[in-house]
This record gives sequence, structure tokens and C-alpha cells, in this order.
Amino acid sequence: MSNVIYLDNAATTAVDPRVMETMLECLSATGDYANPSATNHAPGRRARARVEQARTEVAALVGAAPEQVVWTSGATEADNLAILGAARFNRTRGRHLVTSRMEHPAVLDACRQLEREGFEVTYLKPGPGGIVEPSQVEQALRRDTLLVSLMHVNNEIGVAQDLGAVGRLCGERGVLFHVDAAQGAGKLAIDVVRDGIDLLSLTAHKLHGPKGVGALCIRREPRLGLVPLQFGGGQERGLRSGTLPTHQVAGMGAAYRIAADEMASDAERIRGLRELLWNSLRALPGVELNGDPERRVAGILSVSIDGVEGESLLCALPDLAVSSGSACASMTAEPSYVLRALGRSDRLAQSSLRLSLGRFSTRAEIETAAARIRHEVLRLRAIGLEASVAGGRL
Amino acid sequence: MSGDPRYSEEVLRRFREASGAGDLPAGCAAVLGRAGDREQGAEVLLAFAVSDGRVTEARFRAFGCPHVMAVASWLTERLKGARRADLENWDWREAAAVLDIPAAKFGRLLTLQDAVRAAARNWPGEQRSTV
Repeated sequence: MSNVIYLDNAATTAVDPRVMETMLECLSATGDYANPSATNHAPGRRARARVEQARTEVAALVGAAPEQVVWTSGATEADNLAILGAARFNRTRGRHLVTSRMEHPAVLDACRQLEREGFEVTYLKPGPGGIVEPSQVEQALRRDTLLVSLMHVNNEIGVAQDLGAVGRLCGERGVLFHVDAAQGAGKLAIDVVRDGIDLLSLTAHKLHGPKGVGALCIRREPRLGLVPLQFGGGQERGLRSGTLPTHQVAGMGAAYRIAADEMASDAERIRGLRELLWNSLRALPGVELNGDPERRVAGILSVSIDGVEGESLLCALPDLAVSSGSACASMTAEPSYVLRALGRSDRLAQSSLRLSLGRFSTRAEIETAAARIRHEVLRLRAIGLEASVAGGRL
Repeated sequence: MSGDPRYSEEVLRRFREASGAGDLPAGCAAVLGRAGDREQGAEVLLAFAVSDGRVTEARFRAFGCPHVMAVASWLTERLKGARRADLENWDWREAAAVLDIPAAKFGRLLTLQDAVRAAARNWPGEQRSTV
């Protein structure tokens, strides 16, 4: 990895050394490795204290009370627990949900499961910039709507939704509002009370924490019912049975505490690097930004590069860790469904590149990456058919 | 840096070197074969110089994944000396075997086969194209 410039922080991030230090304190024979449910002895109580400290740290970042936080294995489980759990608990109240076409598969597939169980789901089409307008949500709401689920920040294009406006709409109508904040938490301000969020999915590994741990933040007043997805020891108030991984949970707490302290400075620095990268790439003809230029998280830059196939560009850049919306690159049958939901043609979706920056991205890396991308784009375009049409010769 | 198991060494080499990419020399009469659609992710143009009923030189231009580029490059060497009938009968499975193309990409190779056969249809005496 040392020779590769890592620009895939929207997929996952390196664990911050300060987070690692906290995790290590919960792993060794002299550390807080005991089962946090075993509070009949001192080691168990120390582990429990670690878990509760982390719960406080995670809650603080999103304006919640610690008792609202339920640990999960990640945002996918949190999304499933929120959507399936809330819909199944409230099925006698209604059978309709609202979401958007550009949600993460953890949300879309949970919704499809509910359709198989007899629920109806409205999939809103975002505008060309990736924004789902609150008025679209308002028009989609029905008397039997149970839940609206929208992501805070889109994982492919980095666009942020207006959560507060949708939260108010839902609150006024008694509709539950679920937000998948896997990409946004710790990068843009989010507050469950201010934004009217009833269910908030979180993860650690997008924020320089460990993989394998996340949380669902659940409204407490008035109390919100969920049917659990798994059963066993009754941990997490019976909503998520299973022994808590103290080191993972403590790591998530540390990651969220660091993010709370450094969010503003990280965002400013990363935004500057993203603009440096974008200004270098946009100097090439045929390069378009995907998503709204203003309402976006600092670290994600998605571009469509006309005349270059995404997988070929990735293959030509083995020294960069980036991702593509190309169907070939992901070995799926279709190009990125997110870019298509924005109205991008298959041609441009095939030619997309997502560059995502993180806390450890440096200016030197960005300058090198920009130069490498520009070089390979020009090389691949010179091989393309349009170079021939234009009279170009190699 | 770990190797990418999606690509054989030969695919990677041909993709990076892109030998045979470009156009035939200016003014050179060429038989062209074009196939594919960028909306579908692969588009190929093959250009053959023909003399005495055989391909004497070949070039390609392509938009597509590394496998498409690599096979197009390989074809510019493989089809030197070919007759019209060879182009008509060329089958994508040969390239799949030689370049160790994964099954998920077999559909892309049909685009290359279509381009080769399109060139056969444009063969001198059939229907002539020039660059």
C-alpha cells in the first residue's frame, strides 16, 4: 500500500493511530477485554465503562442522548434494523415507505424486502444535482406512510440532503424519519433533535475508526418501537443481542470524539485539497462534476470524464486507489445506478471516477494524483475513436 | 503493489503498451471495421491495409475496458497476413483463450468480432472505405 496514493476514503478509511491506541487498551491481557455484560466483576465493569463512554462520545457528535445509541455491526445492520424493525413494528399503522433511488443498497434492499412482505415503497428521483427536494417528499407522503428514509451524504457523489426540512415535514405528519449518515457523520454537522431524525444509522470505518462496528441512534421520546433482527442474550435493551466487541465500540467512540474536535479543521483542509484536484481535472475538456457543486461533503469528488472508460482509467492508474462508476469495474451488468438516477447517460456513467479524500490525504498526493490522471486521460483519449474522427494520429 | 487478478499479464502488457493503436499512414487506403457503442461500454475501429488479397498492416482505435483494448491490440498482429475469409470466420474465443479473458468479459469480445467481420464486409471488391 505504501506506493499507492489512497483516494478511496468513501469506501473506508485508515484507522487513526489515536483510535488504535484506544482499541489496543481493550484487547490485551492487562487491558479492558472482559465481557461488558459481566458486570458482576471488576474487569467486566471496566469494559462496561468503556462501552458507555463510547456511547456518550458517539451520541455527542449527533446531538443525541447516550441512551439513544444501540451498537450494531455497522451502518448496513443499522439501516436494516431501522427500516425493517420500524416497518414490522408499525405494520398495523400503515404499509407505505418513501426513499430515493440513490440510497445505499443497505436501504434499497431492505425496502425491497419489505415490498415482498406486502409494503409499498415510493422511490423518489433526485434532481440532476443529486438533491431530493423536500417538496418531493411532501408530495409522496400518504395517510398510510410509516417511514421516510434518506441518506445524509451520498457515497458516490458526496451530495448532502436538506435533512432539517424533511425532518420537519415528517414530524408534522407523525411519519418516522430515518437517515443513513454513514458518509456524513463527523464530516458535516448533524443533530437528531434539530433535524427531526427518529432513526440515525452510523458507522465507524468511514471516520477513521474500525470496521465491523456501527450504531443506530433511536428516538426515545416519544418512545419508538422496533422489531429486532436477531435474538439471543438480550443486549442493547433486547434490540441487538450479541456480546459487544469492546475494542470496536471503544474505537468508534474515540473516532467520533476526535471527529467532534477536528471536524471543522479537517473539513476546511480537505475541501482545499478537493478544490485543488477539481481545478486541475476541470482544465481538461469534457470533464464534468457529478452532483451539486455547493451542497456536498468536503472529501468526495465524483467526475465524469468523456472519452475514457472508467475501468480502463482505473487500470491505467495502479498507483492510485480510486473507484469508478463503470459497470466493468464493478463486474455488474449496469453502470452506477446513482449516476443514472441523476440522469447521467450510460456513456458518462461508464466514464466516471470517484476520488475521496480523508484526514491523511496530503497536498503532495493530490498534486501527483491530478498529474497522473491528466496524463492517462490524454493517453486513453488518443487511442479512442474520437481522436481519429478529429484527425488525431498517434 | 499486489497484482490485479482480473487481468492476465498479457492483457496488462498490451493495455499499457497499446501497440497497434492509432491510424494507418496518411493517405493509405484502408479497410475499416467498426462495431460497438460507447453507451454500452465498448466501441472499436479496426483499420487494415490490404495488398494482394491479404492484410499487410493493421491499426486499432478503441473505447472500452482493458480487455477490449488488449484484444484490439492483439488483433492488429494476429490478423496480419489474413485474407477476407479469415476475417469473416474469426471467432472471439481465440482471443479469450490466448489472452485469458474472464468469462464476465466474453460479451465485450463480441464487439471485437463484430468489428473484424465488419471489415470483411468492407473488403476491396465488396465495399471499399478509406480513412
